[in-house]
Amino acid sequence: MDQISKFQRVQYPLDSNAYKILDEIGVGVSATVYKAICVPMNSTLVAIKCIDLDQSRSDLDSIRRETKTMSLLSHPNILESHCSFTVDRHLWMVMPFMSAGSLQSIISSSFPDGLPEPCIAVVLKEILNALSYLHDQGHIHRDVKAGNILIDSNGKVKLADFGVSASIYELNTLERSSSLSSSSRMRLTDLAGTPYWMAPEVIHSHTGYSLKADIWSFGITALELAHGRPPLSHLPPSKSLIMKITKRFRFSDCHDENHKKNRRNKKFSKAFKAMVASCLDQDPSKRPSAAKLLKNSVFKNCKGMDYFVKNVLNGLPSVEERFKEYKVLSRISSHSGTDAEEEEGGDVYGDTVIQHVKTRRISGWNFNEEGFELDPAVKQVRFGGESIIQDKKIDVSESYGSGDLADSAKSSTLNTPAPVERSDETGGGIIILV
Amino acid sequence: MSTSAAAAREEVVVRRLSPLPQSPVPAAAAATKGHSGLLTNSKSGHSGLLSSKSGQLGGDSKRMKGLFKSKPRTPVDIVRQTRDILIFADQSSTSLSDSKREEKMAELAKNIRELKSILYGNSESEPVSEACAQLTQEFFRENTLRLLIVCLPQLNLEARKDATQIVANLQRQQVNSRLIASDYLEKNTDLLDILIAGYANTDMALHYGVMLRECIRHQTVARYVLESPNVKKLFDYIQLPYFDISADAAATFKELLTRHKSTVAEFLSKNYDWFFGEFNSKLLESTNYITRRQAVKLLGDILLDRSNAVVMTRYVSSRDNLRILMNLLRESSKSIQVEAFHVFKLFVANQNKPPDIISILVANRSKLLRLFADFKIDKEDEQFEADKAQVVREIASLEPRE
Repeated sequence: MDQISKFQRVQYPLDSNAYKILDEIGVGVSATVYKAICVPMNSTLVAIKCIDLDQSRSDLDSIRRETKTMSLLSHPNILESHCSFTVDRHLWMVMPFMSAGSLQSIISSSFPDGLPEPCIAVVLKEILNALSYLHDQGHIHRDVKAGNILIDSNGKVKLADFGVSASIYELNTLERSSSLSSSSRMRLTDLAGTPYWMAPEVIHSHTGYSLKADIWSFGITALELAHGRPPLSHLPPSKSLIMKITKRFRFSDCHDENHKKNRRNKKFSKAFKAMVASCLDQDPSKRPSAAKLLKNSVFKNCKGMDYFVKNVLNGLPSVEERFKEYKVLSRISSHSGTDAEEEEGGDVYGDTVIQHVKTRRISGWNFNEEGFELDPAVKQVRFGGESIIQDKKIDVSESYGSGDLADSAKSSTLNTPAPVERSDETGGGIIILV
Repeated sequence: MSTSAAAAREEVVVRRLSPLPQSPVPAAAAATKGHSGLLTNSKSGHSGLLSSKSGQLGGDSKRMKGLFKSKPRTPVDIVRQTRDILIFADQSSTSLSDSKREEKMAELAKNIRELKSILYGNSESEPVSEACAQLTQEFFRENTLRLLIVCLPQLNLEARKDATQIVANLQRQQVNSRLIASDYLEKNTDLLDILIAGYANTDMALHYGVMLRECIRHQTVARYVLESPNVKKLFDYIQLPYFDISADAAATFKELLTRHKSTVAEFLSKNYDWFFGEFNSKLLESTNYITRRQAVKLLGDILLDRSNAVVMTRYVSSRDNLRILMNLLRESSKSIQVEAFHVFKLFVANQNKPPDIISILVANRSKLLRLFADFKIDKEDEQFEADKAQVVREIASLEPRE
């Protein structure tokens, strides 16, 4: 029966004593990521995401979904979990240690103005392989961004963080209605993702969206890698949302003032720009699928990962060093009198740096939750000159048909671009910040 | 096969044929362009002509012959072929060479994928209800579901996932406005035993778990599972060390005890003693944080449901139960405390409190009042505050009875 044994996972121990924690490599509100070794398994390096289950922010159902998704996916470009088990009030998710950390942290520590095109193309190709596999199974990742792309020192690239992913085949269980109504079938309507990377139809989430939302985020990720940050990131997340749904994107749109100089020196091929533009089509049906993108000349003719290792990874500070740097940074920022900063909980290691940098940059903004609900009202908002939308509450002319909206807007504010998820189960327009 | 795909094929045929000036075929093809009769017509009429031209057509001819041969399979055909391979896989696990076997299993995986896309549609087309009905009918006409469940361990991961989604979907398919999956399962209840036992197998648990949860959407199936000895096993599966599996078992357990109100009420009344005995000792007093947390939440869901009013009254009249809930109330975990409160308040609100309940509450009065004075939840919740105020008033006013 070797046919069967082939599919069996190597069993990592489900006992915290079998692991020896070496270093902290990432932190969020309700999760910390450690570099550790699994002692009985030849001291293999692992990353352990340690989630505090008693935190009000960590919703058990989404954690359950994440662990289940990770155990059922099997692809070289998708971060797998070796095992997950509880240790008192914490859930330990044991995963492979990706020694180079996230692409986002690589960029922010060593390539603040972005990577050259050949390096971007190789990594994106790996991500397309992952997306093509996911989409083929009806899975939407919903949070594609450089912070969720992990790399190890050999140049293995893996897409990570399935905290907000969803399966279009399981919609019937998500929906209240149990019928197989075909109009809503295969479409998601909940709001999930991280603002700068979110597709317009996700922001307009009542109209529904599907796999192509990931292609949009993929296009934004391409821009993020090209310029060191996602487009509109000089704006607070709410504005970025509004801009995106009212305006077409061009390749040059992704700069803020400080980057204008660099832009002139940067060279991107026509094919690359056209590829990105096709991903950022407002009409989801016009965006190419992941499988189709893989046939694009940009990816067909790109270099191998060894090129990336040589040109990007060599001489890079380690994940641990980068994390220490980040901690120093955050100490400075907490002394500078900004508001208590919140980060997303449960992100994968290395991604936390930018969260903080961004938070500092945009501190003083109170991200209004209503922003997510804005789409009906946007048409009434004037966009003029520099001040796109005043930093004031924007009237919401239509809600999602629920009185909860006003309450939810009152109760909490968000000043960091953490992933958001609107759970329809809680009813109405409440936005749950993950 | 959708009509658009057939039309696309036709276009390919036409384009390939046109550079052959002397052939009579282009005219024929052009004439039939636009209606999908070409593929079937040509079988009798033109196919001979085409194959005679094979010299001229070179490499394309093989592909073209393939096009003409492949009459699209109907959903019924695919179910039958799937079943045939499953029977084969079930019976001949060792007698064949590996390569032959692998070939068969690959074919099986392909068929399963096709069944899935009929039921769910794909990127190009929505599912067609008639095709779904035909598929479903054929599926349950014979033992395909049994074979698929039994042979699941032999499939690769992707085929297992596809199969799971098929089984899930079939539970909701109606044929002549009947859920025939339910009828089938009623006659084949041993399949449910297989699915439950699947939790003990780490490789199968997540697949069988999803199938099981879909099956218990049928009330008769849920009743069978609740009344079978297997339900006791769930108490252990919930505490398995693998988080993904234990969480899945907990989800199934919750579904069983909350979905079909009348069945649940009847089950709990009939099985009160052993059920709550196990529930208290194995779940509420578990050493595992997540088990306690999920159990106390579920207990609240069960007892607060109107259909379980009789069971609730009985539960809140027991001093043992009160002791357990008071211990949960004292936990340092906020989540457990809050859920425990929603059950505890029922003991207090009970208008016919037995004397021993009253005396426990009176004996712990000051401690309880102190606890509630600092008891806050993160979110503002008017209902919670109102409940708390009422509980505090009630406890403060209790008079010990002789």
